[in-house]
Amino acid sequence: MSAPFLLVLIVAGAYLAAHWAFERLGDRFLLVSGAEYLLLGILLGPQVSGLLHASVLDGFAPFMTLALGWIGAVVGSHFYVPLLVRTRTVLYTVAFTQAALTLVVCSGLLIGALAWLYELPLPDTVAPAVALAAIAVASSPAGVALLTRHRVRRGLVVRQIEVATDIDAFTAIIAFSLLLCVAHEAPQSAVRAPTPTEWAVISVAIGFVGGALFHLFVGSERNVDRLFVSIAGAVILASGAAAYLKLSPLLPAMLIGALLVNTTRNRDEIREALMRVERPFYFVLLIFAGAAWDPGTTAWWIIPALVFLVTRTFTKLVSARLAARLNGMIPLLGPHWGRALLGQGGLAIAIALNYHLFHGSLLFPDVVFTAAIVSVMATELSSARLVHSVVRRYTRRIFETPTPAEPHPALPPDQR
Amino acid sequence: MRRVIILALLYVGVQLILPLGEVGRGSEALLSFGFLILAAYTVGELTTVLGLPKIVGYLFAGMLFGPSALAAVSASAVGRLTPVSDLAIALIAFLAGVELRWSDLRASGAKLLKMLSLEMLFATIAVAALLVALRDRVPYLANAAPNNAIAFVILFTAIAVAHSPSVTVALLSETGARGVVAKTTLGIVLLSDVAVVLLFTVAQAVARAIAPPSATMSAASPLLVAWEIGGALFVGGALGGCVALYLRFVHRELMLFTMLVTFFGAALARVAHVETLLTLMTAGFVAENVSHTERSDAMRHALERSAAPVFVVFFALAGAQIAIREVIAVLPIVVPIAIARTVGVWAGCHVGARWARAELVERRQAWMGLVSQAGVAIGLVSLVSGLYPEAAAPMRTLLLSLIAINQIVGPILFRRALSAAGEIPGAPRPNAALATAPRASR
Repeated sequence: MSAPFLLVLIVAGAYLAAHWAFERLGDRFLLVSGAEYLLLGILLGPQVSGLLHASVLDGFAPFMTLALGWIGAVVGSHFYVPLLVRTRTVLYTVAFTQAALTLVVCSGLLIGALAWLYELPLPDTVAPAVALAAIAVASSPAGVALLTRHRVRRGLVVRQIEVATDIDAFTAIIAFSLLLCVAHEAPQSAVRAPTPTEWAVISVAIGFVGGALFHLFVGSERNVDRLFVSIAGAVILASGAAAYLKLSPLLPAMLIGALLVNTTRNRDEIREALMRVERPFYFVLLIFAGAAWDPGTTAWWIIPALVFLVTRTFTKLVSARLAARLNGMIPLLGPHWGRALLGQGGLAIAIALNYHLFHGSLLFPDVVFTAAIVSVMATELSSARLVHSVVRRYTRRIFETPTPAEPHPALPPDQR
Repeated sequence: MRRVIILALLYVGVQLILPLGEVGRGSEALLSFGFLILAAYTVGELTTVLGLPKIVGYLFAGMLFGPSALAAVSASAVGRLTPVSDLAIALIAFLAGVELRWSDLRASGAKLLKMLSLEMLFATIAVAALLVALRDRVPYLANAAPNNAIAFVILFTAIAVAHSPSVTVALLSETGARGVVAKTTLGIVLLSDVAVVLLFTVAQAVARAIAPPSATMSAASPLLVAWEIGGALFVGGALGGCVALYLRFVHRELMLFTMLVTFFGAALARVAHVETLLTLMTAGFVAENVSHTERSDAMRHALERSAAPVFVVFFALAGAQIAIREVIAVLPIVVPIAIARTVGVWAGCHVGARWARAELVERRQAWMGLVSQAGVAIGLVSLVSGLYPEAAAPMRTLLLSLIAINQIVGPILFRRALSAAGEIPGAPRPNAALATAPRASR
């Protein structure tokens, strides 16, 4: 029995069983599905059972690139400007402050931690540390989505968490993509190797030019099936182009997603076409990621992962608190609202996989990948519970009627 | 026009990117694949303006941007995308099975068998006769010993009469045609898949008896053939039963599920050494006819929704695999063969329909759905290559060129037939009276 056949069989069985189980358990016990696929991948991979060899995973590399691009496009589709402008500016200020603080502080701490752990000069650890920091910024939107589906009314805290997860994704993708531009190897075939700035321009241009062209290409098409063909072609082309140039497919695909939902009249159909295969892609990506996991040569591989986990948790909580305090939002969000951002999911894995699989020449690919896997496994399952702990505690404040004399500036006009 | 300009810009963009990157990890294949999808989609839309089926546009796009013309998609990229093509054809076979109803087959089984048997007989005679007549001009045949020449003709003819379930299903899906011509054509094409495998096995045995093969490849024993077909029915039936159970007890994520079933079915058929297309058609047929109507309808809708991108991919890749230069070189021989085959199909279908007392519209239009060729025929060509290596190259070139021509002409004719029969929803019905008039009154 061939390995790809076995892979598909196992993936299919596991996907359907887990999907069925989590559909029932998820809502009742507030469990977010995802980490179990990662675990399944690890069990199938060379580190445990060896059912999936590295050569098999290599054969599926184009598929993984496509999955990365698709995740990027889905992230981009969240940035629908008319909806964004209806949200109060302060929520973005808080979200951006929190994301930037996490990125900067995490980068700094991890540069030092990696240099100390591996006895390397500080400049050598910048690339893996920034990649880890980008991963640290990303937070899973699955927890808040699960809660808003059935249990929680949408209010300021919930909206802040939603905005923060979107901004986290945006920041993480930008930071990671720019890192790849800066640390890009010179292509052998080119006459003159592009500079990091030129790589960044190329990366953004693939997204912007691609998005603009696909906007014209898609036109006023409303048939979801036909839209799906166009969008699949667009995402495949952009992801393939970025991966071919050794850039991250996440940024161009995110820009395409954002441009398409903002410039066309058929936003709902485009989102429907994108969402149609998002979940299968996501779960298959998790299984591949689990199977591709390699702890590296050191026996103490868990130490850097734990250092990352602790650093991320600390930085996220402190950054969120500081961001809320700086913007006068502590009374509304509470000091511990950062807990809602601790859950990590597909984007963290996508960034780590991108770093690990396609940029092997960069330092510590195994460390970065292991840290992301440990973080997702530790936090994704409970991400809805973490969000719930914040929302439950502060929900009362959301619907609290402020005194008419002094309405809080953060509240939307209809709640003032 | 706007899409053509965008496509041209994308083509230029891809050409600009190519020198900056490095080949590896399949990213080049992905880049080519994305471009091919958009190109096929655009050309497909253009062909509808010309009144041609979209799949012809997909094929043209594949040919135009494939390795033998503009080479926007390299030969290695096409090779790397073969699994995608395999999955697509498996999905098409499964969809073909789902489209068949037991009640329809029971009602028209005898008619289909009569039409199919005569159509294949006439086409076989026409192609064989023309090959013999053109013997001096056909590569290999001109210098071959008489017994080798006869073996060549027998094998060539056995493959040349094959049909294309993929084109039939794709066109029915594209047009949404539901009617007597659509059903009859689909039924004949699906039955012919079994018949062609049987015919090829017999032809292989006869050819081996006349001209012992130079290669040491073992003969396909009757038992093996029986297993290839019977096993396909058995494996497909079991798979279809499992699908029916899933539909009954789980009934979730149908689109993903059907994709996985087709991938699994194709792999299972390879492992069990049974005919892949027949396995999946049987699976689809059993799943459709055993399940509760509502559940099977939901599955069919899920399949039809996923079919559109699959057709784009499959036919664009098929087009990219056509070697234009080789086809042009053998056109003077292949065009008469294609015409002879088409005449044979027309005559056989006409006589078969009369024998079966089929409706006038079937008698006049059904043959046009039987001209297309793909899938099975290409697979059989490689079998001959293993058996008679010295004849393999000319036969392969001739057959693949014949398939290429029929792959392009076939869908155009079939669409015309469906249109003439008034079976395309929303399209004008030029022969409405013919399509609806009862047989007794004609």
